[in-house]
Amino acid sequence: MSASETIRRPSRHRTFDSDRLLTAACVGLPLLGLILFFAYPMLIVFLRSITVDEGYGMGNYVQVLGSSGFWRATRHSLAMGGATTLLSVFLGFIIAQGLYRCAFPGKWLIRAVIVLPLLAPSLVQALGLIFLLGRNGVISRALGVEIEIYGFWGLLIANTLYALPQAVMIIGAALVLLDARTYEAADVMGASPWRQFRDLTLPSARFGILNAGFVCFIITITDFGNAAVIGGDYSVLATEIYSQVVGQRNFNMGAVVGIMLLLPTVIAYAIERQAMKRQQAGQTTGQVAYRPVFAPLRDLGMAGLSLLICAAIVAVIGIVVYASFVTLWPYNMSLSFKHYDITLAGGYSSLWMTILISLGAAVGGTIAVFLLGLGLRRLPQALAQPVQILAAMPAAVPGMVLGLAYILTFNSTATPLYLLYGSAALIGIVNFYHYHTQGFLTVMTGFRQLPPALEEAAGSLGAGLGRTARDVVAPFIAPMLVSVFFFLFMRSMVTLSAVVFLTTPQLSVAAVTIMRLDDAGLTSQAAAFSTCVMAVVCGAVLAMKMILALMQRRRG
Amino acid sequence: MKTWIQTTALSLAALGLAAPALADELTVYTALEEEEIAAYVEAAQAAMPDTEINVLRLSTGKLGARLLAEAGNPQADVIWGWAVSAMMDPQILEMLEPYEAKGADVLPETFRDADGKWFAPIGYMGAFCVNTARLEEKGLTMPTSWADLEDPAFEGEVLMPDPNSSGTGYLHVNAVLQSMGAEAGWAQLEAVDPNMAQYTSSGSKPCKSARVGEYTVGISLAFTAMQSIEEGYPLAMVFPEGGVGYELESSGLMASTDNPEGAKAFLDWTMSDEAIGLYQQYKALITVPGVDASEAAEKAGLPADISTILADIDFVKAAEDQTAVKDEWKEKFGR
Repeated sequence: MSASETIRRPSRHRTFDSDRLLTAACVGLPLLGLILFFAYPMLIVFLRSITVDEGYGMGNYVQVLGSSGFWRATRHSLAMGGATTLLSVFLGFIIAQGLYRCAFPGKWLIRAVIVLPLLAPSLVQALGLIFLLGRNGVISRALGVEIEIYGFWGLLIANTLYALPQAVMIIGAALVLLDARTYEAADVMGASPWRQFRDLTLPSARFGILNAGFVCFIITITDFGNAAVIGGDYSVLATEIYSQVVGQRNFNMGAVVGIMLLLPTVIAYAIERQAMKRQQAGQTTGQVAYRPVFAPLRDLGMAGLSLLICAAIVAVIGIVVYASFVTLWPYNMSLSFKHYDITLAGGYSSLWMTILISLGAAVGGTIAVFLLGLGLRRLPQALAQPVQILAAMPAAVPGMVLGLAYILTFNSTATPLYLLYGSAALIGIVNFYHYHTQGFLTVMTGFRQLPPALEEAAGSLGAGLGRTARDVVAPFIAPMLVSVFFFLFMRSMVTLSAVVFLTTPQLSVAAVTIMRLDDAGLTSQAAAFSTCVMAVVCGAVLAMKMILALMQRRRG
Repeated sequence: MKTWIQTTALSLAALGLAAPALADELTVYTALEEEEIAAYVEAAQAAMPDTEINVLRLSTGKLGARLLAEAGNPQADVIWGWAVSAMMDPQILEMLEPYEAKGADVLPETFRDADGKWFAPIGYMGAFCVNTARLEEKGLTMPTSWADLEDPAFEGEVLMPDPNSSGTGYLHVNAVLQSMGAEAGWAQLEAVDPNMAQYTSSGSKPCKSARVGEYTVGISLAFTAMQSIEEGYPLAMVFPEGGVGYELESSGLMASTDNPEGAKAFLDWTMSDEAIGLYQQYKALITVPGVDASEAAEKAGLPADISTILADIDFVKAAEDQTAVKDEWKEKFGR
């Protein structure tokens, strides 16, 4: 006994030091990435926003703030952001609650369907809504009334469809880990299910709900694609940027709006942090996973609601898949494969490169957010706070602004980073940082549920940070890491707005091919190509899930 | 660090694949249509086998954003077939070097820059895309001019691109203003404004919405109209009386090019007989004197003498007025 003590003491000293080093590395490397690939490009955008004819000044800001169009777009953006957030978080909570807190068969179906909007190229969602709900859409024709989808309501539906899976991912990270024993105790004490929901589930899911709300809000106010296709005349801030930069080649003014978009984000994040202060973190040790028992009223209701939402998603995406086989939608409904014969815009060649890039972004991104989350837990609050804000910010930057910022930054021979320009790596990197917020907040929500006592116990048993991370934290957080991985993979496969500015004649990605086909007027071919992309993504996700399951079985 | 090692390794692999063995490479940025690009590049590549021609295709607006973002270290050697109203932006002109391509001297002065920075042997036209099925269903009469669209029966049935977001939008607004004169032109735009269902951010969107029957009239591009008709949509292409708006597709040499020989050879090719022969297959608007756009124009339903229907456009004035017109438009019609 005493012998082992003497051996252990120096080794413990060493682990302490190497722990500090590891913590520094855990935070430092992802932070370096954030600075190089997010903060630095945004600094360059900021410099452009204050560039006036001769040197620097606030003239551009004065001009933007003085235009009525800007304030109208701001009002619209805030209203749309608020409405989408409420609706997506509400529906997202229903689905997450159904998935993790209720008992009914067929959850795999809901799980599979809910991610579809993530792997659908934006063209698919836009076309789907118009084919379905447009003035000449299936429903309008069936009812004999022309639905006016363009504008606020159409945009709300489109934005909600896109935000919903992200809300489910983050809220799910909060609900999946609730301790069953608390609920058993509540049962014993005779608390009604409603009371349990109100006093146990809601408070402990609050972190996830707030994070989900934050994400839904900022991805809505920065989204351009939906606003352009279905927003009609409902101008939002992202359309203002597009009009300045793409319509009028007025870079600096576009940069001003891009920088202004960061403001509501920082404010929203500050409010959220403030609201979180009152909640204590984490759970007690020795959690018992919650296994819901079948409660007919609750479960049938939840299953029904979830299936209804899923049916809407399937309808929107399914109709585009169907239309890609239709000879001439909506005038000649006979089926044909002719739209799959794609020769223009590089044909199918971009598909495989896109898979490689997406895998890179997903693997690298998952590791980076995991390390960051792990390291942040061990940093003092004063240090962790600014890093957290930085890590939660990227979603506040519209893809177009990020893409152009990357050109400004990495197409300059002033730094060795120039080597990245025009490479597949840079596309992978921009994809990851574009979606950094969602990945980071999902992992943070998961970490929030991790009992600090568990880590402390591991620490006091002599496990260093490395070992604790591998043997204690990683298995606990694994479900979130898996969802972050698939989220990053799916978005990288189809995201367009940033990537369109970074492709080269030799290097294109699937989303750009879809845009080029649609630009060429070949919308049906674009839908066909989108269907192929979705099929490939589904196949890849299934294959990866099978590998994961096999690995787990072998380990178990 | 793992992340970057992995992604960098990945990209090096990609770079390795991308790096060609040919010493002579040419990067061309263009906004021409996919189908014609494929035909032209095939021919140009055969004519200059020692140069590998790499083409990046983006829409007019996105290409402009890309060129400006890259201005610090331009990647393109040649800008090819890009809207002249965008080309005449001082920020872009600054990046160009004067070069008179062989054969460009035959072009009338209005179709090439006085300083020799750009020349435009081809162009494209605006047009109304009218969905005949919806027109019939709604009991509307076929519009043949802007004035016809004032009819209250067209309320909520017409789409046009926003000139502040889309070059096509400015093409139409400018054509109305220059052909009718500023005062009458603005009055015309005001008269159709109540019937406009939306001002879109994309130039082809109005036609694509009209062809699937969402709206009756899409004020858009002749190219999209022709392509839609070919695909079989119940669509009629209408060139409004009183002056059709059009845009020149100009080319120029980037001053920063590291392959000036190749770039000049390519620009020369775009004025070659072979190229002009191909334009006759694809373009409805050719500015080379004595060359009629027979095949393509006939397909488009154009009169033999196209100049009779085109608006009399002063491109220099259009470029100068651009900012003022867009601002005034936003003031009057911004939604």
